[in-house]
Amino acid sequence: MTRRVLRDLLPVVAVATGFVVAWKLLVVIGGYPTFILPPPEVVASRLVAAWRDGTIEPHVATTLTEILLGFLIGSGLALVTGYALARSRLAERLLSPYLVAAQATPILALAPLIALWFGTGLASKVIICSLIVFFPIAVATMVGVRSVDRQLLEVGRVYRATPLQVLTRLEIPGALPLIFGGIRVGATLAVIGAIIGEWAGGESGLGVLINLARGSLFDTPLLFATLLTIAALGVALYWLILLVEHQLVGERG
Amino acid sequence: MGEIAVMPGRTRAALGPMRLRLALGAFVVVQLLVACGPAASGSPRLVASGSAAPPTPLTVGLGYIPSVQFAQFYLAQQAGYYRDGGLQVTFQNKIDPDLVTLVGQGTIDVGISDGTSVIPAVSQGIPVRYVATIYAQFPNVVYAKQASGIKTAGDLRGRKLGTPGKYGSSWIMLQALLSSAGLRPSDLDIELYPDFGQGAALAQGAVDAATGFINNEPVQLELSGTRSTVLRVDQAVPLPGNGLIAGTSAISSKATQLRAFIAATLRAMQEIEADPRKGLDAAIAAVPTLGQDRRTQLAILKATIGTWSSDYTAAHGAGAVDQAAWAKTVTFMASLSDSPISGTPPGVPQLIDTSLLPS
Amino acid sequence: MCPEATRSIATKTTQTNRVATPAISAASDALPAGAGQPAAIAVRHCSFGYRDDPPRPALAGVSFEVASGELVAVIGANGTGKSTLLKLIAGLLAPEEGDIAVGGREVRGPDLGVGFVFQEPRLLPWRSSLENVALPLELAGWSRNAREARARDLLRLVGAPDVERLRPHQLSGGTRQRTAIARALALEPAVLLLDEPFSALDALTRERFNVALQSIWRATGTTILLVTHSISEAIFLADRVVVLAGRPGRIVAQVPIRLGRPRTLVDLDASIVSDASAAIRAALEREDLA
Repeated sequence: MTRRVLRDLLPVVAVATGFVVAWKLLVVIGGYPTFILPPPEVVASRLVAAWRDGTIEPHVATTLTEILLGFLIGSGLALVTGYALARSRLAERLLSPYLVAAQATPILALAPLIALWFGTGLASKVIICSLIVFFPIAVATMVGVRSVDRQLLEVGRVYRATPLQVLTRLEIPGALPLIFGGIRVGATLAVIGAIIGEWAGGESGLGVLINLARGSLFDTPLLFATLLTIAALGVALYWLILLVEHQLVGERG
Repeated sequence: MGEIAVMPGRTRAALGPMRLRLALGAFVVVQLLVACGPAASGSPRLVASGSAAPPTPLTVGLGYIPSVQFAQFYLAQQAGYYRDGGLQVTFQNKIDPDLVTLVGQGTIDVGISDGTSVIPAVSQGIPVRYVATIYAQFPNVVYAKQASGIKTAGDLRGRKLGTPGKYGSSWIMLQALLSSAGLRPSDLDIELYPDFGQGAALAQGAVDAATGFINNEPVQLELSGTRSTVLRVDQAVPLPGNGLIAGTSAISSKATQLRAFIAATLRAMQEIEADPRKGLDAAIAAVPTLGQDRRTQLAILKATIGTWSSDYTAAHGAGAVDQAAWAKTVTFMASLSDSPISGTPPGVPQLIDTSLLPS
Repeated sequence: MCPEATRSIATKTTQTNRVATPAISAASDALPAGAGQPAAIAVRHCSFGYRDDPPRPALAGVSFEVASGELVAVIGANGTGKSTLLKLIAGLLAPEEGDIAVGGREVRGPDLGVGFVFQEPRLLPWRSSLENVALPLELAGWSRNAREARARDLLRLVGAPDVERLRPHQLSGGTRQRTAIARALALEPAVLLLDEPFSALDALTRERFNVALQSIWRATGTTILLVTHSISEAIFLADRVVVLAGRPGRIVAQVPIRLGRPRTLVDLDASIVSDASAAIRAALEREDLA
């Protein structure tokens, strides 16, 4: 058991170590000053200090709230829309041009407008997160529901499954592996959405902290520490979803 | 640099690295052109025998959006003052935070930045120095409609004040202004406008006062027919306003060129002070869209010119750096509970370098 | 208080009644069912075609009956409408002409009294064997405990008691099909339709399954209509073999199998088998020549 864990962990640790060593070498060989590229140990100690003195924590709380709300709302709407698209050709014909257009419009350009219309509070960030999360999950749901085996749906007919039973017992579980593909993408995009929303105006959040560190404190190590925190947030979210996915989808051969 | 310069920085922040790459690319191209130019055009030494060496390229960082506030640079360029000083000047429009870092890194030779940014930057080890004063009076102000009855900093007690956030030069100015009246931010009802909407909020009456720039919001308010009151910080703590900054390595390696640049810029400023229309024309020539509303642009320029001189510069010459004011500012900023200064506050000699000013 | 329990008892009662009828009378003469009782399955003058481009007629004027408790095999070459016939009886398709009755009632759609085992197991890959078997019970609103108990019994009945927790991809092909049969039996259907259920299995496994199916039939007393490709399988299992031929398919012969019950694999060597086999082959070939 322990040996297996070791064997699984070893490559992860090796790659992480390699990354840190390469980073340090880059700083040393390139002779970069801290304000351009801080060495890993400086970033690490800044990260610890910023967590200890409470610099980062409130910003993490803000960003996490935005991500979770935006993700929940965006994915909820996406699941419903994706199902409608899969089941109704009319819905697909009517909606898909707008969905694609919305997706093709850079969220970076929309964000300031959304901040203008909905203020710089939580609402605008949640909207931006929802928007960015929506498309991949809606498309994955559509494709997933359409890919559910017709033979299994026929089994449902034999046993006189009601439309709701077909949805909950056959279509959703059948589409789940593909839906989770979209959810994984959506979760990482939600992090980006929150940061973009904060850049469009905000009082707190990791995006705001980036701007503070960069623009008024000139604290490059804090900037890196914030980036690391954001990355960790994204990875944690991704793992959480993998965990849920494993529980719900499991091995299907 | 003003409000206009700061605002888009938020939305374009993510474009920073790309802009950096573009800037580097442009810089390389310019250098290549300069290097190849003489060889390609035959033998310039024969044609220009006896004249000075080819002009030295100098990259100058201005605020993000080209504006009438940079009229002196446009005039010096168009009138050939830089060329006469042996310089080939290229302007780069950079948002403030990138600019300080890029000057420290050496990508940009000289840039314009406010003094309250230089202090935290130097405290973080960024090797820049403030080399010449442009805004002898601090341009960040608190303003209100005259009808609000606010006449002094003390009148702000208990009133609603709008500001973008609790950081940056406006926040430091506000704390300095309040401290002069024995007040602290907690004595006011402070509304944050992260989208920089405090000006609109004041115009609509949502707040009694707001932070802004002497050459922007109050000017717009007056132009729209509303009388305004402006509270300046200079009497309380003489905060260092925007000036020219250069990297320490550029100061030692390009001292002659920087000196020529500063002299040419100050000369253009004197000409514009004497005849603002000259500056407006130069700005419109550089940025044609400014010509659409000459009245507003002229008003902004006149307000800008008003900040160029102070009692100190009157006594010590244009561009002079008030060391005592810098020392006071460092002490004041270090005393703030949310001080942006990292570690031991830097001494004035680490912040400024007056060796490049005209003697 | 507990509807499932009541219902379970009710179905058990009917089942006992069915078992009591002389279903396993050796080699019944196979033509119309016992007097007074409606046929378990009655197909009258049925025609069906698929509306593809070009249209594909599948069945033409098919009529036959299956008595309650009888085990009838339908045999025929590919494309003679065997699977279509089963889907019509199951109410998954509607006939263009003619009508079909199950237990005396006209078929208007899927009926819980009819179990269906497809050519493929069609198990839900995200469910364990037990949960797959319990699916029809779950859809019918049984409580978790009641349906799991019943599903366990069924898995034991089909000879796959040890795979409850395994998912389909962890099972052998044979066990998958056993699970599918258990699922089809879950609601104790009066009629069980099997569409070439063993065609994907190897010959030896197939023989074992035929023996198992026979004992399941004997244990449940269900009326079975089995579609198959295999003459020996049809003879081994069925009281009567309906031979379909032609495109669209028509019934060209109904061959009674006069073999005692229970049958063993050894019985397949009996002369009666070769006679029946010859009759079926003759029917198939006559049609081929025509």
